[in-house]
Amino acid sequence: MPKNIPVIETKRLVLRGPEASDYPNFKATFTSYRARFMGGPLNTYESWMLYAAEIGHWQIHGFGMWMIHDKVTDETYGMAGGWQPAGWPEKELAWVIWPDAAGHGYALEATNAARDYAYGELGWDTAVSYIDPKNLDSIRLAERLGAKKDHEAATVDGNDAVYRHPAPADLAGSQLAHGIEMEVGHYADPMFKPKGWALD
Amino acid sequence: MTLIPRLETERLILRAPSEADLNAEAEFFASDASRFVGGPLRRDETWRAIAMMLGHWMIRGYGFWGVEEKSTGVYVGHVGLWYPEAWPEAEIGWTLMSGFTGKGYATEAAQAARAHAYDVLGWDTAVSLIAPDNVGSRKVAERLGASHETDYDHPAYGTLQVWRHLGPTDLENGGMEAYA
Repeated sequence: MPKNIPVIETKRLVLRGPEASDYPNFKATFTSYRARFMGGPLNTYESWMLYAAEIGHWQIHGFGMWMIHDKVTDETYGMAGGWQPAGWPEKELAWVIWPDAAGHGYALEATNAARDYAYGELGWDTAVSYIDPKNLDSIRLAERLGAKKDHEAATVDGNDAVYRHPAPADLAGSQLAHGIEMEVGHYADPMFKPKGWALD
Repeated sequence: MTLIPRLETERLILRAPSEADLNAEAEFFASDASRFVGGPLRRDETWRAIAMMLGHWMIRGYGFWGVEEKSTGVYVGHVGLWYPEAWPEAEIGWTLMSGFTGKGYATEAAQAARAHAYDVLGWDTAVSLIAPDNVGSRKVAERLGASHETDYDHPAYGTLQVWRHLGPTDLENGGMEAYA
């Protein structure tokens, strides 16, 4: 079997491989309308099988979707990481946040860390996110991550838009990277109580 | 991570499922022969099915093995222990690629899977879910000594027959050979 799934720590989060005990939260989201842009809602059988495939993806590719945990309480907030099942034209950076955990910047923090890992440890030289054009929350997150719509790139099935992430060299030390760090830092700061509502 | 054990029978090797099996599985799942086991599936769906088989091992600690012919190394199908959500109970399953049926491979591999379930995992019973029209699979179940117990209405696959296998004590008392 391939090596164990790496663990990533960020300011507020720990990213770990998906485990059997994390399944109920995954199921709650993927059998709900929250999953409408991710091929759902699924029935319980499809949901379990997709979760198994998330784990198997790690075994096959050596990368995959991490489970996002709170560093202190260990509760799960969603998943983020790399995703390239058969039929995907390129390696994707993907994310899903449980409905109750939206609005705290967890997807930004986790996906940013996953992208750093993909570029720094896995040696990816580019990454895309395939997003349903109606999924405005995800498009906004892609843009906060610095991704831009790539009209030339192949889509998964013609119904998705391709957002291309900045290349490693363009990201390292950039104003964008500092901006993401600052935004994540704000979320983690107990004194920072902005008005309004971050989307993911 | 669960380590997927390697089993050997007289003619077969049971080892971890692998992406390398995709061509054979995709060909099978594109064919009409797959209609009893959730097919037909596209190639990308078949890839996910292999990923699911691997993930099943990690979640349950058991799952489907990829089965190879010992003499040739050729992939002949997947056989093993299967219990996804929405299954009524844990089952012994077998799916042979076209061209490898009729040799007793399913029975041989399923016996090894059953022995693993009883002797290593400590199961005290097992079933197999079989589509009513799947005559070949029913014959395998009969050769294994299982009997048609009831039917189960599967959320995705419709009505399936539930075949109950002989338990560990039945096999001890009767001897494996009696049912082989």
